[in-house]
Amino acid sequence: MSRLLQRLQLLGLLLLAGCATTTPANVTGAGTQLETRQIQTREYETLDKAMTMRSVIATLQDLGFVIDQADAELGTITATRLHQYTMRMTVTVVEKDAGRISVRVNARVGENSVTDAATYQDFFVVLDKAMFLTQHKVD
Amino acid sequence: MRCALSSLLLIAILGGCTATIPKAALRLPESTLEVRAIQTRTLAAPSEIDILTATIAVLQDMEFNVEHIEKPLGVITASKITDADSTGEKVGLFFLDLLCGVGGGNGCNNSSSAMDEQHITLTMVVLPSLARSDEYAVRITLQRVIYDKIDRIKVLERIDDAETYQQIFDNLRKSLYIQVGEI
Repeated sequence: MSRLLQRLQLLGLLLLAGCATTTPANVTGAGTQLETRQIQTREYETLDKAMTMRSVIATLQDLGFVIDQADAELGTITATRLHQYTMRMTVTVVEKDAGRISVRVNARVGENSVTDAATYQDFFVVLDKAMFLTQHKVD
Repeated sequence: MRCALSSLLLIAILGGCTATIPKAALRLPESTLEVRAIQTRTLAAPSEIDILTATIAVLQDMEFNVEHIEKPLGVITASKITDADSTGEKVGLFFLDLLCGVGGGNGCNNSSSAMDEQHITLTMVVLPSLARSDEYAVRITLQRVIYDKIDRIKVLERIDDAETYQQIFDNLRKSLYIQVGEI
């Protein structure tokens, strides 16, 4: 009887040990690096960096975001939207060679990263319009 | 049969764990133009610096803390934490306590439940007009989170109330007038 009790205790300990997993830190994120970059990046011609950043800010405001931080030198903008859920976005604007500007966007909804290509495509559709208006000097 | 039901239950539970990101999260809503009109005004000023300085003064007038300024992009972000309980609500709770006390009740402490606070975040962006050199488009966006007394989020929203924006712009015009004289 005591042996059966010992075995049951051992089994109980093993089961409990199985529960004691630590939550993975998930620092590096999911998805492949190259694929993620492709989904999140768009390149533009002719506009200068500052005007591109202003177009990004206008786009974010149109989409209901409040700008948390903007740095013209580093080309980064972070913004938050509070509406039913919390969405945070970081946009980086980088000057490439031959007068090209690269815009990279990444978004998170609550604790989850947005990995859906269509959602980023939606953002770039709005940004394309803002860039067009800025290029053609329309307020 | 029981096995099939268990499998279905397991699938349903696991399905519940999958986070859903709204499909149209980054699509322009139909109300965009209307909201943009509420949030934007065109102001005349000698320079962008004048508008930014006048804006900071207005934010101070409205008891906001300026958190971040990015001059080259004309971006100012500010925030403030205020009481979110309406005066009517407070008065109501006060009278409830009064009646409770008069009636000889114990623990008449309804007023202590009026402890909601709101965190308001504001962004103001000043864009030089692309058409006219002495004009600037100023756009304000406001959001707020209301917490109850045990820090649970009660409300999470963008502020779209036209009157609030109008008041801020009226204050900004006055501030600009003081800053640079009659325009």
